[in-house]
Amino acid sequence: MAAYETQGFKVDNSGKRVVVDPVCRIEGHMRVEVNLDSNNVIRNAVSTGTMWRGLEVILKGRDPRDAWAFTERICGVCTGTHALTSVRAVEDALKIQIPENANTIRNLMQLNLYVHDHLVHFYHLHALDWVDVVSALKADPKATSTLAQSISNWPLSSPGYFRDIQNRLKKFVESGQLGPFMNGYWGNPAYKLPPEANLMAVAHYLEALDFQKEIVKVHTIFGGKNPHPNWLVGGVPCAINLEGVGAVGAVNMERLNLVKSIIDRCAEFVEQVYIPDLLAIGSFYKGWGYGGGLSSKNMLSYGDIPQKANDYTSGNLLLPRGAIINGKLDEIHPVDLKDPEQVQEFVAHSWYKYPDETKGLHPFDGVTEPNFELGPKTKGSKTRIEELDEGGKYSWIKAPRWRGHAMEVGCLPRMVLGYLQPKQYPEIHGLVEGALKKLDVPVTALFSTLGRTAARGLETAYCVKLQSQQFDKLMANLKAGDLNTANIEKWEPSTWPKEAMGAGFTEAPRGALGHWIRIKDTKIDNYQCVVPTTWNGGPRDHKGQIGAFEAALMDTPVAKADEPLEILRTLHSFDPCLACSTH
Amino acid sequence: MTETFYEVLRRQGITRRSFLKFCSLTATSLGLGSAAAPRIAHALENKPRTPVLWLHGLECTCCSESFIRSAHPLTKDVVLSMLSLDYDDTLMAAAGHQAEAILDEVKKKYKGNYIVAVEGNPPLNEDGMFCIQGGRPFVEKLRETCADAKAIISWGACASYGCVQAAKPNPTRATPVHKVITDKPIINVPGCPPIAEVMTGVVTYMLTFDRIPELDRQGRPKMFYGQRIHDKCYRRGHFDAGQFAEAWDDEGSRKGYCLYKMGCKGPTTYNACSSMRWNGGVSWPVQSGHGCIGCSEEGFWDKGSFYDRVTDIKAFGVEANADTIGKAAAGTVGAAIAAHAAVTALARARQKAGETEEQKGEK
Amino acid sequence: MLSQQDMLEAERHGKQVRSIYVYEAPVRLWHWLNALAMVVLAVTGYFIGTPLPTQPGEASANFLMGYIRFAHFAAAYIFAIGLAARIYWAFVGNHHARQIFMLPISNKHWWSEVFFELRWYLFLEKTPKKYVGHNPMAQLMMFFFFSVLAVGMVFTGFAIYSEGAGLGHWSDLAFGWVIPVLGGSMQVHNLHRLGMWIMMTFALVHIYAAIREDIMSRQSLISTMISGWRMFKD
Ligand code: HEM
Ligand code: HEM
Ligand code: NFV
Ligand code: SF4
Ligand code: SF4
Ligand code: F3S
Ligand SMILES: [Mg+2]
Repeated sequence: MAAYETQGFKVDNSGKRVVVDPVCRIEGHMRVEVNLDSNNVIRNAVSTGTMWRGLEVILKGRDPRDAWAFTERICGVCTGTHALTSVRAVEDALKIQIPENANTIRNLMQLNLYVHDHLVHFYHLHALDWVDVVSALKADPKATSTLAQSISNWPLSSPGYFRDIQNRLKKFVESGQLGPFMNGYWGNPAYKLPPEANLMAVAHYLEALDFQKEIVKVHTIFGGKNPHPNWLVGGVPCAINLEGVGAVGAVNMERLNLVKSIIDRCAEFVEQVYIPDLLAIGSFYKGWGYGGGLSSKNMLSYGDIPQKANDYTSGNLLLPRGAIINGKLDEIHPVDLKDPEQVQEFVAHSWYKYPDETKGLHPFDGVTEPNFELGPKTKGSKTRIEELDEGGKYSWIKAPRWRGHAMEVGCLPRMVLGYLQPKQYPEIHGLVEGALKKLDVPVTALFSTLGRTAARGLETAYCVKLQSQQFDKLMANLKAGDLNTANIEKWEPSTWPKEAMGAGFTEAPRGALGHWIRIKDTKIDNYQCVVPTTWNGGPRDHKGQIGAFEAALMDTPVAKADEPLEILRTLHSFDPCLACSTH
Repeated sequence: MTETFYEVLRRQGITRRSFLKFCSLTATSLGLGSAAAPRIAHALENKPRTPVLWLHGLECTCCSESFIRSAHPLTKDVVLSMLSLDYDDTLMAAAGHQAEAILDEVKKKYKGNYIVAVEGNPPLNEDGMFCIQGGRPFVEKLRETCADAKAIISWGACASYGCVQAAKPNPTRATPVHKVITDKPIINVPGCPPIAEVMTGVVTYMLTFDRIPELDRQGRPKMFYGQRIHDKCYRRGHFDAGQFAEAWDDEGSRKGYCLYKMGCKGPTTYNACSSMRWNGGVSWPVQSGHGCIGCSEEGFWDKGSFYDRVTDIKAFGVEANADTIGKAAAGTVGAAIAAHAAVTALARARQKAGETEEQKGEK
Repeated sequence: MLSQQDMLEAERHGKQVRSIYVYEAPVRLWHWLNALAMVVLAVTGYFIGTPLPTQPGEASANFLMGYIRFAHFAAAYIFAIGLAARIYWAFVGNHHARQIFMLPISNKHWWSEVFFELRWYLFLEKTPKKYVGHNPMAQLMMFFFFSVLAVGMVFTGFAIYSEGAGLGHWSDLAFGWVIPVLGGSMQVHNLHRLGMWIMMTFALVHIYAAIREDIMSRQSLISTMISGWRMFKD
């Protein structure tokens, strides 16, 4: 395809083609191909989801009350968020009102997911894009200690502590068995941290690995396990019994105390480790302003964390809802999942079949029919793809559009939407402003790879606050004598209408997530999911508009064409989840 | 960090004496005689960490997520000191061809001495292109990587049984690992996902004793899958007493009664949840009020609703449960019998009448 | 062959002796024990799958499910051992003792009698025939809906019994393999339960047929199963 312009980008696939497959440190399987011009700047980007399981096909004909368990298995990383979306969709279809406690407990679980998922992403999936592990060997443990103590009063910060970590690392590297650090791009000029910051980050990589397993215990208490806790249409499955016979078999004071202690520890870790690390690392990469992509133009969020139960309007949501298009930050459009004109999915470049592929389908009428065919300019063969042809079909991800626009979803849109509405979201506004001041950068700096990474951290800080607030709300309601956790009026399928349809949404950690269900004769007639990474990672549409990943890679210079560090960095800033994207 | 096995044990507080004792026990249990003990000790003190290649097929990564939840041993100790996690696309620093190069390298250098851990499964439809890695079908990568492996661990319901993507109609023909790799020892560690400490327990058992754990008929380690949830459930007393939660959030639910009537699959599910529990022993499904959905059982997605105790049998082209089939059959037959009896009585009455007529005539 | 012989025998005897010894004592004893065991198994089995309403009071003061399951397992042992003994008797007993385990499927005459009986039950025949043992229709039904099914119930029953008894228990060694072969524990439970319904449906038909034939046919039935003697009414 010749060079063309779309969404303000000049797409040109004439230069040197670089293929990265697999893209590692993400969930699932992904491939990316870019074209570099003679200055090693990315001029064309092709993002491909390389797996498909067919959950939407599998769900047909099943009991809507079971759907949460199937959809939860779309992803074990954002575990639970699909389940929550699913029970909300079914409740919307059947007009089920859930008890106040159920809403609060669901909020606590969803917030808990955010904290866990963001933390693991930052330290274990993203950090190695900024942190050179091998360079940490050169650090002075004493200087590292000074650095650590200058940014936080986290107790694990003595010179001896960092020396131990360094020694362990040294033995590890000297063994020659580098394990997961083998073949990393160590020493690449794109790494900018001094050895001391690298050592501190390595220490926190390990601490975060230990700590993350504690966070999820909130899921375990209310949902019985993590990953994949249990949910319930009409409420939550865990009953509450504060003082009666058998209270030890239910959520009781001891369980609530455990929840509280985890919430407190989360706040501590996020405030004393995550945020200081983020700001410290960020301060060394301030100059690297690439990767904004669509974020300065089109952003979408469905919002989440309803303060009162059963009210899903934007005024009741503690995470903001709305759409921004064409870069007009002063105009926040309302979002309606049921409006056939708003959310639509296209498959012109996706491995699916529609009757008319120049038209999009609203998810209520969505069709999922696989159709694996490669464009004529593909290099290689069907089972040995060397270079894809983006002129044809090239991804298992569909291309969702909001009123025809490709949108970025995720923590960046959420934080920007919050920042733009200081009255409704003063805490978000304060957090964003504080970080910008600390790093001494303008608001526009948010529209970048680093901005996305920063937004995720700030959101985590917001979520640990919301966790406490939701916990207090739960306690207040219990104190008022309300112990209800489930509404079973419509539990029996015999009470359902012959046909029903509903939409459920959440803000998953990676962005706007919607499930649309049609129920007929008590069984699922159609089920469609449009998932955050479907929005961000999707391919071009019939008009050639590129998706958010593709846009974010555009115009980025790459230091070494053979070491795709910058590509990984920008892709990772979205926290891609490919199992989610294609489902 | 690159401790040998011996160093790891030492760091965990095991003395040299008990280490040597462990070596001689190992020697005898392997039938090698006590003379072999020093050799084993030497090997454990010096041998490199066993390389593990962790492959991902069609899956949801919850098995990886579960693995990193391990509390004893800590995941960081497993990964940094006990084994060498040389390939795992979810965690590794490298990407693209640098990542794939590792597979070739380990295959050559450690031929016959590395373990392959598989999360997820290969789809076979569409020439395997429902899961593409490096431009090729995952199933090829799986076959090649397993070819020189010592043993294979099938993580979770996906690798062991197919899991959700293999639920009907299994559009991608997602296929369990043991149906594709047939010439290697395979350890199935089912669950969706398996419990973290079960996962690290299986791995450390293999590294410590240098053998695969004893398996049951379905290839699962007996030590963790030898009993049903129901056999060790703390609500079992209520089951035996006949005390059940009858509806969500009812009095029985609040009192922690048995969840059998809410569809609990504990009586038909082999797993360690009811004794080991989840996430460091904090809770497990039943303790948090939802019945077991049988996530470690083959094909649990296609056994009918999670909320019915008597679930569907999908056969004869229809799906219905034993009670609906049975009641329908018994009802129909009962009605037929009643009708038959009525007709019989009628016929008999008529016949009798005829006979009396006849008798009258005879007189 | 047998039944043709039976019929002739019956016709001849019917004219001469009016009664004949058919069911030996062990068969009769077994029949009624077995019938009793089955009633217990079906009732307790039904309530194992769909239990009675929750019991009030402390768990320690109740053992309802425990008793129900105990009764099921006790009856199950009686049922299984009885079945084994009955199979043994098929070898050593009189030729009627073999009937419910063997179908003379290559015998054309036997098949014609099956269809005769079918017509009789459909009111298409006016006069029933006489049989010393089972009528061929009953034999066919008993083979499939009792003998085969009973073996199936023992196999599936002991397979799920082995789950509670544990790996290595004799029931596991003998029947544990049934579970993976039939598609997992849940499936075996479901099939076992379905088996219960099929058996009960059979029992319904069987009891009805027994009573009806006792009244309608030219020979005794129920009393035969008590005394062993088949009486002929004409
Ligand atoms: C005529 C014969 C039998 C009938 C009609 C019968 C019926 C049933 C029924 C309806 C169930 C409930 C199934 C469910 O919903 O899960 C059941 C369960 C069971 N049966 Fe039987 N059964 C018979 C023979 C046997 C035999 C021979 C055994 C051997 C020990 C046996 C052992 C069991 C066991 C272990 C259970 C499960 C108990 C539990 O889950 O607590 N049954 N039976
Ligand atoms: C109270 C109810 C029952 C009555 C009145 C009854 C009656 C009879 C009679 C009359 C026969 C002899 C048939 C003949 O002479 O051709 C017979 C045979 C038999 N009945 Fe029953 N029966 C009863 C219950 C059952 C039950 C519940 C079962 C089990 C499902 C059963 C199984 C059998 C079998 C297997 C035979 C054949 C015995 C043999 O030839 O070894 N019966 N029954
Ligand atoms: N994309 C995505 Fe998810 C998230 N967050 C879900 O909806 O990751 Ni697995
Ligand atoms: S077995 Fe279950 S938990 Fe594990 S990857 Fe598969 S879907 Fe996820
Ligand atoms: S809750 Fe489930 S596992 Fe526990 S006793 Fe009841 S049926 Fe068994
Ligand atoms: S659902 Fe799975 S997690 Fe355990 S309790 Fe049941 S096997
Ligand atoms: Mg979809």
